[in-house]
Amino acid sequence: MRILVIEDDKDVASFIRNGLAQAGCNVDHAANGKDGLFLATTEKYDALVVDRMLPGVDGLTVIRTLRASANSTPVLILSALGEVDDRVKGLKAGGDDYLVKPFAFSELLARLEALARRAKSSSDGAPTTLRAGDLEMDLLRREVRRADKPIDLQPREFQLLEFLLRHAGQVVTRTMLLEGVWDYHFDPQTNVIDVHISRLRSKIDKGFDRPLLHTVRGAGYRLDG
Amino acid sequence: MRLPLLFRTNVFRLTLGYMALFALSVGALSAFIYWATLGYLDSQTNATIEAEINGLREQYERRSLNGLREVIEERVARDREGRSYYLLADAIGRPLAGNVPYWPVGVDDARGQWVDFVQRDSDTPVRAMLLRVGPGLRLLVGRDIRELTAIRQTLRRASFYGITLTLGLALVGGVLLAVSAERRLAEINRTTRQIIAGDLTRRAPHKGTNDEHDELAQNINAMLDQIESLLTGMRHVGDSVAHDLRGPITRLRNRLETVAAAEAPRREDLADCIAQLDQVLATFNALLRIARVESGAYRSAFTTVDLEPIVRDVGELYQATAEERHVTLRCEARPGVEVFGDRELLAQMLTNLVDNAIKYTPEGGVVTVGLERRGDTAQLRVADTGPGVPEADRGRVLQRFARLDQARSQPGNGLGLALVNAVTSQHHGRLTLGDNSPGLVVTIELPALTPPRATAAV
Repeated sequence: MRILVIEDDKDVASFIRNGLAQAGCNVDHAANGKDGLFLATTEKYDALVVDRMLPGVDGLTVIRTLRASANSTPVLILSALGEVDDRVKGLKAGGDDYLVKPFAFSELLARLEALARRAKSSSDGAPTTLRAGDLEMDLLRREVRRADKPIDLQPREFQLLEFLLRHAGQVVTRTMLLEGVWDYHFDPQTNVIDVHISRLRSKIDKGFDRPLLHTVRGAGYRLDG
Repeated sequence: MRLPLLFRTNVFRLTLGYMALFALSVGALSAFIYWATLGYLDSQTNATIEAEINGLREQYERRSLNGLREVIEERVARDREGRSYYLLADAIGRPLAGNVPYWPVGVDDARGQWVDFVQRDSDTPVRAMLLRVGPGLRLLVGRDIRELTAIRQTLRRASFYGITLTLGLALVGGVLLAVSAERRLAEINRTTRQIIAGDLTRRAPHKGTNDEHDELAQNINAMLDQIESLLTGMRHVGDSVAHDLRGPITRLRNRLETVAAAEAPRREDLADCIAQLDQVLATFNALLRIARVESGAYRSAFTTVDLEPIVRDVGELYQATAEERHVTLRCEARPGVEVFGDRELLAQMLTNLVDNAIKYTPEGGVVTVGLERRGDTAQLRVADTGPGVPEADRGRVLQRFARLDQARSQPGNGLGLALVNAVTSQHHGRLTLGDNSPGLVVTIELPALTPPRATAAV
């Protein structure tokens, strides 16, 4: 993945750069909005990480300018704990996802991968079937099968599995699940999500040799193909 | 108090202003009395003189020069007090009759009919009227105006003393007023300076006289009490943060030390450390979230929120957890209960309550989440069959980091109910903890929005 990080805070920037580089990403960095805008328009990236507060041209203006010039590179907005409707403002300006500092790096990486993937898959048109290994989900009939054996899921379990399948091979955090499946944007404090995952796991992995749904310690979950 | 300081005080400046105004009115009054009195006396004197001179002219016209002389001599003789002055003189000023020995120097009928002069022999001020009675004949009739002059001087002196006295009294009064006001304010100022210097226990003195200074002192004291209680609260939070986070951070440090000392650090150990750090971060985030809720930062984004889907969502979210712990979770939500608020905050609030309820309910227990409309309020109830909260502790558990002894064994940061409390008060709601016998029932009453009027059937 090729990522552009527009962030003026040196520590945060180097933290993100190192982490992304370790995860095998190709990272460019701009310390202000003007340079960032220049790089974003002249180079091709899979995703951008844009800090809201930037010297000179601020983050939201960068995003608006990009969107106005028909650049649809997915953008993840970073924001310090500040205003409330930040999230709404950021998404309105054309951002694709939103992350509040301080954040865990695994959360950032998971969200970036999801964004980059979404951008790619949306160009393939909407699929009617999702697959991971021998697990298959028919979105039209709302049926799930593994190795041709039908699996009976509750509506919410279906949504949960759909979200995991759409992000197959990537780490999905608990916060992402609460957002993507339940549409609430706060930190699920306890293991409430874990319980749903373990129920889903018992339905799709029980009785099969190869588990599909993995727990990634300190980060979240991953559904492998 | 030093004098230059005194001039700076507002009371003193006000008093000086009043003093000037007062002196001006006393002056105006004196002037009026002066002009009215003197004007009256003046016109009296003038009228007498005029009447007399007219009489004398008539005498001359009837009885010619000799007759006039006779009348004049007669009148002089009759005026024992010597207050009237007469002089009949020829063209060059030689006296022909009267009690003025010579034509007064500088007195000339050319200067007008009325003259004031000083009779040189007796040093008497005289008001006189001049008249040409015939060819080469000049007549002067005058009156002693010593009294008039004396009255004038008395009046002038009275005005002068009056104004001076007024100014003096006002000055003294002003100084006294300013000094006393300054003294009261100085006490308050001294108190505030001591507080600025760091002694927050100081209070402004008040005498119980209920005047404006007393009121000011009392208000300042009330404000200080409020600030002190807020500060104490903050200090408590700070202490709690330090205390509650020191434990996990110390454990983490020891753990990392062990990991660092190991020959080959294991991945799981590091992952554990990260998980512990995440806990610390989560506590910080929860604290920040509470602080932001309390600051009213979310209020601007408030909108109409239907509570029923939130209750359903949270219920559904926790159904699995409840079953896992063999606790029955029941949702009894009436539709159409709307409030003005923030969906996320309300959901997080309910999440915390349900989370707590399930956590503290023993196996086989029941947690009930209820939503209904009662008059003007939307009532949310979360009841459990756990150990409950003793009445004495019910106020305390709403504070940050407050954890009851039996809760210490359970995971949690002691911030759940603090957030619930903050969210409730930001929504102008009321939070009450009650007895479910057995168990705890948390009731949250929020101002409900008026439901849309049911549309009439067509």
